[in-house]
Amino acid sequence: MSDWGMQKVALGERLTAGRRYAKGKIVPLPSLPAFLKAVIRSGDRVCLEGDNQKQADILASALANLDPAEVHDLHMVQSGVVLPAHLDIFEKGIARRLDFSYSGPQAARIAKMLFGRKIELGAVHTYLELFARYFIDLTPNVALIAAVSADKDGNLYTGPNTEDTPTVVEATSYKNGLVVAQVTEIVDKVPRVDIPGDLVHFVVEAGRPFYVEPLFTRDPAAITETQILTAMLAIKGIYAPYGVRRLNHGIGFNTAAIELLLPTYGEKLGLKGKICTHFALNPHPTLIPAIECGWVEQIHCFGSEVGMEDYVAARSDIFFTGPDGSLRSNRAFCQTAGLYACDMFIGSTLQIDLVGHSSTVTTSRIAGFGGAPNMGSDPRGRRHPSEPWLKAGAEAAPDADAALRRGRKLVVQIGETFGERNAPLFVERLDALELARELKLDLAPVMVYSDDVTHIVTEEGIANLLMCRTKDEREQAIRGVAGYTGIGRARDPKLVEQLRQRGVIQRPEDLGIDPLDADRNLLAARSIKDLMLASGSLYRPPSRFRNW
Amino acid sequence: MTAATANNVSLSWYEASARQRIDALVDAGSFSEFIGPELRETSPHLSIFDLPEQFDDGIVIGCGRVNGSSVLVAAQEGRFMGGAFGEVHGAKLTGLLRAACTLKQNVLILFDTGGVRLQEANAGELAIAEIMRAIVAARRAGISVIGLIGGRAGCYGGGSLIAGTCSRLIVSEQGRISVSGPEVIETNRGIEEFDSRDRALVWRTMGGKHRYLIGGADMFVDDEASAFRLAAIDALEFRRRWDLAVLKAEQKRLERRLQRFGDAEDAVDIWQVLGLNEPTNIPALPTDVFLRAAGNRENADDAR
Repeated sequence: MSDWGMQKVALGERLTAGRRYAKGKIVPLPSLPAFLKAVIRSGDRVCLEGDNQKQADILASALANLDPAEVHDLHMVQSGVVLPAHLDIFEKGIARRLDFSYSGPQAARIAKMLFGRKIELGAVHTYLELFARYFIDLTPNVALIAAVSADKDGNLYTGPNTEDTPTVVEATSYKNGLVVAQVTEIVDKVPRVDIPGDLVHFVVEAGRPFYVEPLFTRDPAAITETQILTAMLAIKGIYAPYGVRRLNHGIGFNTAAIELLLPTYGEKLGLKGKICTHFALNPHPTLIPAIECGWVEQIHCFGSEVGMEDYVAARSDIFFTGPDGSLRSNRAFCQTAGLYACDMFIGSTLQIDLVGHSSTVTTSRIAGFGGAPNMGSDPRGRRHPSEPWLKAGAEAAPDADAALRRGRKLVVQIGETFGERNAPLFVERLDALELARELKLDLAPVMVYSDDVTHIVTEEGIANLLMCRTKDEREQAIRGVAGYTGIGRARDPKLVEQLRQRGVIQRPEDLGIDPLDADRNLLAARSIKDLMLASGSLYRPPSRFRNW
Repeated sequence: MTAATANNVSLSWYEASARQRIDALVDAGSFSEFIGPELRETSPHLSIFDLPEQFDDGIVIGCGRVNGSSVLVAAQEGRFMGGAFGEVHGAKLTGLLRAACTLKQNVLILFDTGGVRLQEANAGELAIAEIMRAIVAARRAGISVIGLIGGRAGCYGGGSLIAGTCSRLIVSEQGRISVSGPEVIETNRGIEEFDSRDRALVWRTMGGKHRYLIGGADMFVDDEASAFRLAAIDALEFRRRWDLAVLKAEQKRLERRLQRFGDAEDAVDIWQVLGLNEPTNIPALPTDVFLRAAGNRENADDAR
């Protein structure tokens, strides 16, 4: 048995093959195709860095341009399948198997390719789950990553969008895998070392910035009065009574409305300092007014947001920043923070069924999960107490021994009873089930499982599922806030009224909220320009969001 | 801490409904509506297309007082069919303008329109022509017709032609004035010519600041109902004759403008020619700074 060290030998071979095309660690852009061909082997497990926002786009197109006769059967393990090139790799037969988390803009094409058997699907994960598997059974042989700049030794500066990079490099480089980075430019000295150079084997100078998608910008001008009403209900009916200070927000317009109501409606309710002080959250532009009013104490970020760089740098009292001044984000840490150190997740969804399962899947699109199922789940390993967590736990099991009773994370689904294009939010049967049947999946892609959901908020009111004792009560609580959807109209009015008497369902009037007060004048900013002005012009909105 | 919210208590003109705008514009309690929604003068065409109707057909007309003086007012509701002109909608405005001649009262038109309603295009186009003719007649009779532009739908298509015949135009940054809308240009001439999703491009080409700088509007105000009211009071003071000599002078001015700016590829090039400092920074300027910077602007005083 003298075969130990074979992985190091294999890595050595790849390094030798790659160095033929490199000067030191630097691979000139024109040599990239030949270089990739030399270092990637058929059957390799490859992580092509496609994050929620930042994309190793140059490396992606170079990989997609390889000859499938020479390199094939790759197993792609990447969190985001976002660029067309990510799927071209499968279309051309260079890669065969896929494990991923999120597909956003490629949701329709990925579904089509799964149906057409162009892709062999491992599983759709949450971010944290996929990262975990990088260290157990999906460790990459090759990681193709993206950074802002590098020095000649391979030290990388990732700028505000660090995102997944440290995790990918950790799993690959320390397990004898090869790490190749595309950078905007090679510099003498990087502004800060996000990834130490001895973990990075080769660097390609792209000559232009990697692609970043502004995913977290919600234009206040598009927030409706119904969304404002749901936001008022959430603030007064959930945030306030539980005293939710540590939380994560989804990216929908309902939660954007909540962010914009804090300095106005929240202030009026005297909630400043009592709610929303600590976030696991990307730098949402709609949070600027609340930050400027002193509502927020601290925010840790998964990634950055286009246009928010200067603002974040100028607010290092709130955000995590490096010695260079810019944001340091980290998806794995922030997902962990959202799971274990937050008392609430609140977000929107596309479909909720009668037990409370929710899903963003429609039959022709597989958008993946991203981080929501992780944020929106009750962490069974949590042991530290907090007021909202204990209160929720007590509501769920009032008769249990308090010292032995688990708390509960608040997992809130918020939305209008009829969503985009008048599609009902509430359904008898999730489209996800149909998709699972057609693709022969073991699991239907459910975003948040019913046993994790604690509250549902619509314009008709709040349903507190923690206080439901039977399956029937739960169903009627959901029907009771489902408005004029088919599900809502089929409610048992007597039972719903009983639930209301018990406070399981709360209507706007039960909370002292007049729906006519839900006016856009309540928003601390009504346009992107308002946000820019509130930031002291530090926020620089991308062109597509400007109307000036 | 800096000021928390850019949104103060005042009413945003851009966000307000037609009725809210009128309420904020005229002296409190002075407005009375003609042919109000209770009469249900709805479009005779929309039901054919199974489209919803509105009891006022998307325009509110009536009389009121501004700073004490009697005026006639029309306000388009941009949230109903994009404020588009149909048969009834147009007839209400035509009638109001003809009444202005009889009553010898000035008119305020609160534009918020994408142009003519496609579902009643012939009636709508005819209405545009009738309205322009009625404005010409009113102005020849010494009546001021003042346009206020700052709504969500902007002032496009036939609406922009009508605006061109007004005595005075008040615009905010949010307001847009153009015959063809961004999507129309992109559809007909390609995305290379005009990317309708590039909102910064749309605003610097059609938006209030640019229109003010090249004489396409006469007064530039903040997006606040109170600012529009003050500007309207100002505009109502303004008196000008309107005859062949004035029209000829305006034609000359437009020829001169074309000569001066015809080769410009982008609004920023025009601002450069106008000698504005840091032209790329114009869109970001707050109103007071912008107005000081706009000293060298083209103006349309010949015809208006």
